[in-house]
Amino acid sequence: MISSDVIRGYNDTMILYLLLKEPSYGYEISKQIRSLTDEKYIIKETTLYSAFKRMENNGMIEAFAGTQTNGKPRTYYRITDEGRKYYKEKCEEWAITQEVVEKFIVKENDDYEHY
Amino acid sequence: MNTIRDYLENMFLGLPKTNDVESAKEELRGMMEDKYQELKENGKSENEAIGIVISEFGNLDELADALGIKEVMGQKTEFPLVSYERAMNYIEDSRATSPKTALGVSLCILSPVVLLTLLGLYESKIISVREDLLIAIGIFFVISLVAIAISLFIKDSGRLDAYKDLCTDSFRLDYKTEQMVSKIHKQEEPIYKSTVSISVMLYIFSGLPIIVTPLIIENGGIHILAVVVTLIIIALTTYNIISKGGAIEACRVLLQMEEYTIENKSNTTYKTVSKVYWSVVVAAYLGYSFITNDWSKSWIIWPVAGTLFAAVKAIMVR
Repeated sequence: MISSDVIRGYNDTMILYLLLKEPSYGYEISKQIRSLTDEKYIIKETTLYSAFKRMENNGMIEAFAGTQTNGKPRTYYRITDEGRKYYKEKCEEWAITQEVVEKFIVKENDDYEHY
Repeated sequence: MNTIRDYLENMFLGLPKTNDVESAKEELRGMMEDKYQELKENGKSENEAIGIVISEFGNLDELADALGIKEVMGQKTEFPLVSYERAMNYIEDSRATSPKTALGVSLCILSPVVLLTLLGLYESKIISVREDLLIAIGIFFVISLVAIAISLFIKDSGRLDAYKDLCTDSFRLDYKTEQMVSKIHKQEEPIYKSTVSISVMLYIFSGLPIIVTPLIIENGGIHILAVVVTLIIIALTTYNIISKGGAIEACRVLLQMEEYTIENKSNTTYKTVSKVYWSVVVAAYLGYSFITNDWSKSWIIWPVAGTLFAAVKAIMVR
């Protein structure tokens, strides 16, 4: 399992990615993160909630009340234009980050002793 | 399910009950219950499901920024715990002392009644004694009634002094105590609310004698007697509202609601201002009344000061 410190800067990106498709609510999002990452990353409830609040305050997502099929009321979130813009920036940022960090990572079939 | 609820209640213990905090608790509970439900449906036992839900809950400190309670979060654990026994004793002692406090306050309101009655009778020529003698007798009653009231306050203040820290310092209750206090609060609230609404009506009606009498009768003495009727209505209404409010007020203090929230307790300006404010009002009332002897008009300072204080409070507390 991944440590939450490493991934902290990309929680927002994951949530926004899932909201791009359709509005969703807390548990649904945490479930999708778990299954998309093959259970390698399980987001904590408190992490998820504080991400919602932070993005809501920054205008990247909007909350609205909705009811699920079984009738339980839930807070749903939908992405805003601001959120789409931010998501795109984060994707570009990740491409560069990955490229940079990659230079310093030893490949599996390389020989550690060699360096 | 109850375990999850209790777990969350304990995690949020001692946090201010702002809208943000309450809705966070609500939404986190929703997520946890969803997860619990699904784990159960996938064949996990109750204990396993709860174990997983709680281990994946995370750390409440993460929410501090989102809820605007960073400072409170830092000092959360430093708040002393108020025991169940102490909380219950406080409610009972408040319930027992409130009728006496109410009597004291009513006596203060009634204190100029004898003076005003005598002056009213004198003005309307019903009795003909020397005016200064009447004033002397009247003031004797003012002072005596206030003295009795003060002795009532002092006698009972000792009993509630032991709980003074609850009104001024922040503290926390354990889950069981908070549940019990909330229960009592819920029981008392409807009765207290109807008392308040009846009282408000009576307070408004209490002005009628003063307003209506001059329209019907021209005799100045009767106008003064109308003030007496008004004061008696105000005194009875005030007695009713204070004597019934003891337990619910104690519950509010214990649940740290309204003016007793943790934020307000740390708001020292508010405390100082309200102390100074009421001292000044009392001094102004007594000073003006004794110097001008205008007891028939000076009482008006109380409703005015009370209403004005509500405005001051609204600005200070926000």
